[in-house]
Amino acid sequence: MGYVAAIALLPAIAFAILVPMSNRVRNKAVPVSVAAVVISLALSLLAFAQVWPGGHGGEAVYHASVTFATLGSVDLGVGVLLDPISAVMLVVVTLVGTAVQVYSLGYMHRDARIGWYYAVLSLFTAAMLMLVLSDNFLQLYMAWEVMGLCSYLLIGFWHEQVAPRKASLKAFLTTRVGDVGFALGLAVMYKTAGSFDFQVVLHDFAWAPAAATTVSLLLLFGAMGKSAQVPLHVWLPDAMAGPTPASALIHAATMVAAGVFLVARALPIFEVSGVALTVTMIVGVTTALVGGLLAAVQHDIKKVLAYSTISQLGYMFVALGAGGLVAGMYHLVTHAFFKSLLFLGAGVIIHAAHTQDMREMGGLAKKMPVTTVTFTIGSLALAGVFPFSGFWSKDEILTILWHEGHYVVFALALAAAFVTAVYVARLWFRVFTGPTQSAELKEAHVEMLIPMGVLAAISAFIGFGSPYFAQFLGHEGEWPAAAIALTSMSVAGIGLALGWWVYGRRTKVINTRPFKQRAGFVYDALTLKLYFDLTYDYFIVRGYGRLAEMLSGFDRVVVDGIVNGAGAVWRSGTEVGSLIDTYVIDGAVNGTASLIKAAGAKVRRIETGHIQAYQGLMVAALVLLMLWFVVKGA
Amino acid sequence: MTLLQPVGLLSFMALSAVLFSLGLYGALSRKSAVMVLMSLELMANAININLVAISRFSAPAELTGQIFAVFSMVVSAAEIGLGLALVIALYRQRKTVEIDSMQELKG
Repeated sequence: MGYVAAIALLPAIAFAILVPMSNRVRNKAVPVSVAAVVISLALSLLAFAQVWPGGHGGEAVYHASVTFATLGSVDLGVGVLLDPISAVMLVVVTLVGTAVQVYSLGYMHRDARIGWYYAVLSLFTAAMLMLVLSDNFLQLYMAWEVMGLCSYLLIGFWHEQVAPRKASLKAFLTTRVGDVGFALGLAVMYKTAGSFDFQVVLHDFAWAPAAATTVSLLLLFGAMGKSAQVPLHVWLPDAMAGPTPASALIHAATMVAAGVFLVARALPIFEVSGVALTVTMIVGVTTALVGGLLAAVQHDIKKVLAYSTISQLGYMFVALGAGGLVAGMYHLVTHAFFKSLLFLGAGVIIHAAHTQDMREMGGLAKKMPVTTVTFTIGSLALAGVFPFSGFWSKDEILTILWHEGHYVVFALALAAAFVTAVYVARLWFRVFTGPTQSAELKEAHVEMLIPMGVLAAISAFIGFGSPYFAQFLGHEGEWPAAAIALTSMSVAGIGLALGWWVYGRRTKVINTRPFKQRAGFVYDALTLKLYFDLTYDYFIVRGYGRLAEMLSGFDRVVVDGIVNGAGAVWRSGTEVGSLIDTYVIDGAVNGTASLIKAAGAKVRRIETGHIQAYQGLMVAALVLLMLWFVVKGA
Repeated sequence: MTLLQPVGLLSFMALSAVLFSLGLYGALSRKSAVMVLMSLELMANAININLVAISRFSAPAELTGQIFAVFSMVVSAAEIGLGLALVIALYRQRKTVEIDSMQELKG
């Protein structure tokens, strides 16, 4: 099964082929990248088939690794680990990756730097696959950072404009805050467990609860940065400045899910700690609610989806926090499909409507049937409507919350599901119904519609695999209980109905003023993104400024005072010294100088400027040296 | 020493010395920079002959001299490429490659 390594290597090779090319050639070499990801997809499906039907108690099916360095007595390796979780992730990543790359052929075909775009997509895919396949935390961290770089490059892809540039920096720096936590977590892990290997760290080593808490909280902090959890979520909405298909791949389906994947991998440590699980759940449920509420007030279609992603990632953290590995991973999988579908649909809509502002859209249903159908499937899956995939995974999360007795979190998660349904309805009715505001709406190219169709089919039917998924990961699988399913369905139904009542009836132009007047504080808080960005700007960005000013004041008064005082003392001392200098030392120096000058005037004659003269001198000197050695030796 | 005797190390070293001297003479006396470069190559190859010959007669099994000579050839090929590029650049500047005309460093 050595081919498993090739799954991650092929996109990396595509990247290596594309990078050294000139821009013009690279733009024509785009098929290299697409071919690589398609082969990776085929190999991933093969790998998945070999792991099927899973079980094995979640044990690895295939494992190989090479050591690339030794740190003290610890071998650092790069390995390939194929177990049920990584098999599932392989298929998700390559499938969404293929869909996005095919879609981008249409979406980006007029871009002058499409080749570079594809090169970065390939590198990203390789890094994500390497992360999924890694058998130790250090390798995971390396892939994690490469993905961060690719995310930065793709968000700032249109760097001629200001907004993408700023957004790429913001994303890079914010995730970097989390990455510091991750790195520290690795350091503590190395110190206590003395290894990075999953086998050692997760199974063999006996963790003390205190150490486990430290490590898992630090890892969680890293995951919060990458997966845009409150309070490190601020970068994801801004990241929408990048190309839409890249957002679909990176900021909806795969990279932001890497944090969830990390927590899922490290779950045994979290479970030893206990505290860390609770923290994970609290972070998750806060994020789910905050993300959902913020999504409900955005006007930019991509930002709605971005906040929605934040909220759904929060859902996954809730599941993991409740110890529900299967539920969390299952929501990751279904979310990857329906959210990338929604992003691809949003890309088509933006292309057609020439705007991202939902207030300027409307009536797309009549002109763009394929987009409408696929987008609707994605929306229903997101809202959690039976039988679409989001229903099943959300249901599993709610079930595990109920069974584990986290009733408060259960209620909050239901509230988040309600908000989700409301903003889904808001988005859908605003975009697809009502009067058409743009005359030349056209359906997109076929290479953009096919990936959407495939993702829509998966989003529609994957839910029926829900019990098999649990078995695949080595757990008990069962169909959802009717009570919870009905609860979540009715919550989603009421949410959608409310959304329709407010936004769908189109009786008059939608007017937010009544709400604004009645609950001005709430409205302001939501439209200002719950003050997160303002707080960061005030305390961190400008706080740095104030700190710098204070430090510079300290510099001017105290440090400069000491320096100047010392200078004055020194200066009076040197006045005396300078007299000695002038007469005694200068005399000696000047005398030496004039001696050398006179000598130089004589010696400069050998500097004729003829190379061959120098050469001759060198040869003569060499011959003399040789003669001297011969005579001495004799 | 008759002509039919197998060629010994001394003969190779003599050949090398002759080549080296020829090269040295050329490098010191030619007017054209191109010829100087060629003479330098001659000197380098004289050394290569020495390397191969000494290796062959002292430790024939190890081939170190031969391998080193191959390295040395690669390096001098690179060096001659660089040298010729410099000569061409100089020629573009002043329409001549005569070494005597380049005396800017005169003291």
